[in-house]
Amino acid sequence: MAHPEVARGEEEHHGSAWPFVVAIGMAIGYVGLVSDLRLLVAGIVIFVGGVGGWVHADMQRPSSAFYGVVSAVESKFPRVSARKLAMWLFLATEIMFFSAIIGASWTLRLRTTIEGTPDFQGPWATPNQILNVPLTGLNTFILICSSLTMVEALSAAERGDQRKLKLFLTATLLFGILFLSIQAYEYNKIYFEEGLTFVSAPHEVNPLYGPTFYAQTGVHGSHVTAGVLGLAYVTRRAYKGGFTKENHEAVELAGLYWHFVDVVWIFLFTIVYLI
Amino acid sequence: MAETAVATRAPAAEHVRKRPYLLVFGTLAAVTAVELAITTPGYFPTIEATLRVVVLVTLSTMKASLVVAYYMHLRYEPRWLLLIPLGGLALVAVLVAALTGTSTHP
Repeated sequence: MAHPEVARGEEEHHGSAWPFVVAIGMAIGYVGLVSDLRLLVAGIVIFVGGVGGWVHADMQRPSSAFYGVVSAVESKFPRVSARKLAMWLFLATEIMFFSAIIGASWTLRLRTTIEGTPDFQGPWATPNQILNVPLTGLNTFILICSSLTMVEALSAAERGDQRKLKLFLTATLLFGILFLSIQAYEYNKIYFEEGLTFVSAPHEVNPLYGPTFYAQTGVHGSHVTAGVLGLAYVTRRAYKGGFTKENHEAVELAGLYWHFVDVVWIFLFTIVYLI
Repeated sequence: MAETAVATRAPAAEHVRKRPYLLVFGTLAAVTAVELAITTPGYFPTIEATLRVVVLVTLSTMKASLVVAYYMHLRYEPRWLLLIPLGGLALVAVLVAALTGTSTHP
């Protein structure tokens, strides 16, 4: 990959319009999700195009992460780099995103499970009635293990221990893939064998049990998938010697996102599976 | 007693990298086991449904706080950074208030 030259005396700028394209694509996609399949497809196309354009624009910058070791960029705030600040801001929006979905699911549950009220649609499933709680307990444990290996990877990077950095990143990646595999197995089992679909539920359980279950765990699963892809990128860079004792911010940022996804699961496991 | 507590806490405040990652991991695993035991019929004295929900939500909040404080290093970051996730949670509080309003029947 050719490294782009910076024109002499020209300031490198970090502004980009592509995030707006990504956001518009997502908005259209979500509208399509609840209205028209064609809008959904259009939204996905715009979203993917936006991500592609953004990555392409980023590759034109000489300081891009694609060209090797990247040092942390100072922010205007003390002791927190620009990228870390951006990651925390992003995670704050993620808190709101997940809260909206969990909140909507709880509202539906509370409204439609009280017998004798006009909105009553049937009882909620009890734990273990449809879902396999011990299996998901194991999956929760796997995600906790992956958080430990992730934080150990960062710790290894801080010490400059390349061998352990690669080892722990690989372990985290494998735990993430294992989590997704078990979730895929679970989805397959409860959808096709138990008959919990998007519109109906077995054993006269409330038909809203299915859609709220798939919405909450599916959105989380897609975040784990994104995390696995991010981790794969970071792990690949670690194997190519892309991190040093001084420069390893990507490991920390990938870790922040990964732990956040773990935090969301801690709540989802309790809310969806145990209560 | 008080002196020992101060002595064990002091290194964490400095930039010493010995952080209680394994201890946090052990606690997370143990609390998850307790949550599973509470909800598995026959493994735990039956507790009243509402109390069980309160206990489970409290335990999961505890677990999440541990991950955020130690694995996401929020405990070791400048104090003001805490304002960002708290800002998100403040808007969540508004959402919960709004949703609670809609879920009560006239």
